[in-house]
Amino acid sequence: MPRYRQHRRLLAITAVLISTAGSVAACGGGGGGSGDGTVTLTFWTHTHPPMIELNKKLIAEYEARNPKVKIEYQTIPNTEFGTKMLTSLSTGSGPDIINMDDNALRGEYIPKNLLAPVDPAGFGKKSAADLEAGYVPGTLDGAKDAGGTLYGVPSEFNGTAFAINTKHFQDAGLDPEQPPKTWQEVIDKGKALNKAGHKQAFNFLYLHSGWYSQWFQTLANQTGGAILSPDGKSPALGTPGTKQALDLWVELARTSGIADPKTSSRDATVPFQDLASGTQSMAIVYPWAMEQIRQSNPDTYKDLAVVPLPQVNPAKPVSRVYGYFWAVNKASEHQAESWRFISYLAGQHDRWLSDVSFVQPVTGWQDSAPAKKIPGIDVIAQAYAEGRYDQVGPHWSEVQDTLRKAVDEAVFDGRPVDAVLNEADEAVRRSLS
Amino acid sequence: MTVTTTTPTTRRPSPPGRRRPRVSGRNVLGAMLSMPALALFALFAIYPGLRVFYLSLFDYSLTSPPEFVGLDNFTFLAGDPRFHEALLHSLVYTVGTYLPALALALVLAVALSRRMRGAGWVRLLYFLPVATSWVAISVVWRLVLHPDGLLNQTFGLDVDWLTSSAAATWALVIMGIWKETGFFLILYLAGLSRLPGEVYEAAQMDGAGAWQSFWRITFPLLKPITAICSVMGVIRGLQAFSPQVVLTDGAFGTEVVNLFVYKTAFENARMGRASAVAVFMFLVLIAVTMLQLRAFRREDG
Repeated sequence: MPRYRQHRRLLAITAVLISTAGSVAACGGGGGGSGDGTVTLTFWTHTHPPMIELNKKLIAEYEARNPKVKIEYQTIPNTEFGTKMLTSLSTGSGPDIINMDDNALRGEYIPKNLLAPVDPAGFGKKSAADLEAGYVPGTLDGAKDAGGTLYGVPSEFNGTAFAINTKHFQDAGLDPEQPPKTWQEVIDKGKALNKAGHKQAFNFLYLHSGWYSQWFQTLANQTGGAILSPDGKSPALGTPGTKQALDLWVELARTSGIADPKTSSRDATVPFQDLASGTQSMAIVYPWAMEQIRQSNPDTYKDLAVVPLPQVNPAKPVSRVYGYFWAVNKASEHQAESWRFISYLAGQHDRWLSDVSFVQPVTGWQDSAPAKKIPGIDVIAQAYAEGRYDQVGPHWSEVQDTLRKAVDEAVFDGRPVDAVLNEADEAVRRSLS
Repeated sequence: MTVTTTTPTTRRPSPPGRRRPRVSGRNVLGAMLSMPALALFALFAIYPGLRVFYLSLFDYSLTSPPEFVGLDNFTFLAGDPRFHEALLHSLVYTVGTYLPALALALVLAVALSRRMRGAGWVRLLYFLPVATSWVAISVVWRLVLHPDGLLNQTFGLDVDWLTSSAAATWALVIMGIWKETGFFLILYLAGLSRLPGEVYEAAQMDGAGAWQSFWRITFPLLKPITAICSVMGVIRGLQAFSPQVVLTDGAFGTEVVNLFVYKTAFENARMGRASAVAVFMFLVLIAVTMLQLRAFRREDG
């Protein structure tokens, strides 16, 4: 065969390959619809095994009832969740439905205009107010912007409680019926537990910046501290209440000696490991954490009791609440169908309670049959009444990183609280500027 | 006297009046076949690289159009303590890890280049960490560096390797030396295998000892390898990311520049500022590499 013909054939093959590759690439950018009218919704959540299991069941049910809807469900490791979700939504390529905590919603997603407002029609309601009327007042505030527009409904609503290992208490000669009411009592009882051989009496979880921030706000709510000024425009880490919160943290974690924070488990994919394994005697917990322990460590779970969160001032108890919300990507081409699916998920509140211990704060939730079966649910309900949502502000991830650095240096390195807070205050000021 | 020899060309000159084709059909075909790869390279390497330079001059949060701010991002970084700390952490990690790793690799290479039983296995053992991913190694080292882990238990230490600002940097350095020595060892072994044996024989006849042979023959002859190794060490050190993420997530004085860039860009959505850091580091790496190569060249001269 003449050489020029060989070349021509090779050129033709190359051209075909290039054009085929182009066609394949063009086929990859579909919008989730198909010729037969089937709609594909994408749905992303973080990893929490009991939640994943129920999500899969509910998806299967919804698809069976709605043959023209297909749901692609993806879970993302907790440590990557925020980054992946924010980046994908920002570039317009995220999922149709997201499940995100109120800190991120109010701090990043809503201000950045990444979410679609709730579509009441998807829930069979005439207005957002009608929809909100079905929930305990104030519980949807975590998914609202400054103007009161609602962007999601809660998949879980968490109040902060405290768990004690009753067996450890008995080992130390302490009465489990008299749990610590103040943080000072946590220290006192912790010392008794230490003497009985339970060296990890009480620990915070040092997982990632978000966890540091939630513990800090739990304490700061009680001491009257704050991270930002009320208008959110300047730092408030130098205020006496904030300093008192970090002082209290350092005392609980370091100077009291009731536990060694350095040996605390740091695996963010499985929080509360030390409490679940029976290593730790007392911990700040949420309803979902107890269900996770029940499933992973049933023997330890039997010994745990859920009691009210210890207070700085028991006469004026203050707690912290937070929620995860189902919301819809503003760039989604299937917003109406997405809200209908969310409506189905949100309508299963009894199953969320019985299977995952996720409270969806619909009116009268605490009187439902599954709620009454959850140990300590009265404590959780009380925590909701005393709780408040976290403060959030611009560039919140950066602020949380700063807070984490301050806590690490005070708790682990032993640097003076005043010094680390002054530096943190200046760093937050730079973040806000 | 200088003798210059010329080799008569055997190529027949083109006949007058007939132009030699500048581009042959074969070249065209080669260019066509390489187009897909070049296109992908341009799309995924050159374009993003240029885009980083462009974005470094803008305030861009992904969700709103980029706003031109000139050199503001660079000005901010010049006065940002967090960035300065990240730079320092990267520098300490690079020097602390790669200087000992290079020295260790050279010593081991000289030892292992001699014929001895089991040398192949020892080389393999040193190379295993190189072939394993940073993430996998970091997960294992998290157990090694635990307060009750292998390192403290074996040496009877009481060091909070991953939970104190005094030790976390050095924990990463120790792990880095362990992981990276094998990489440079292979390069040095390759270099040693190409050294002329006659030089050593001559040195031996002249009465040179082992140390003199190493210092006056091996080390100078390995300078090209050392130059490459040191350039690669600086690049690898300043681009470190995975071990810091897995072991400490940048806490306790281990937030290196690449981790700072990642957090700035993808957690805090400050793409312009992150791009400015990337541009700065690109220029730093170019400058340092040129200085290193010039220094080695000067020594050669």
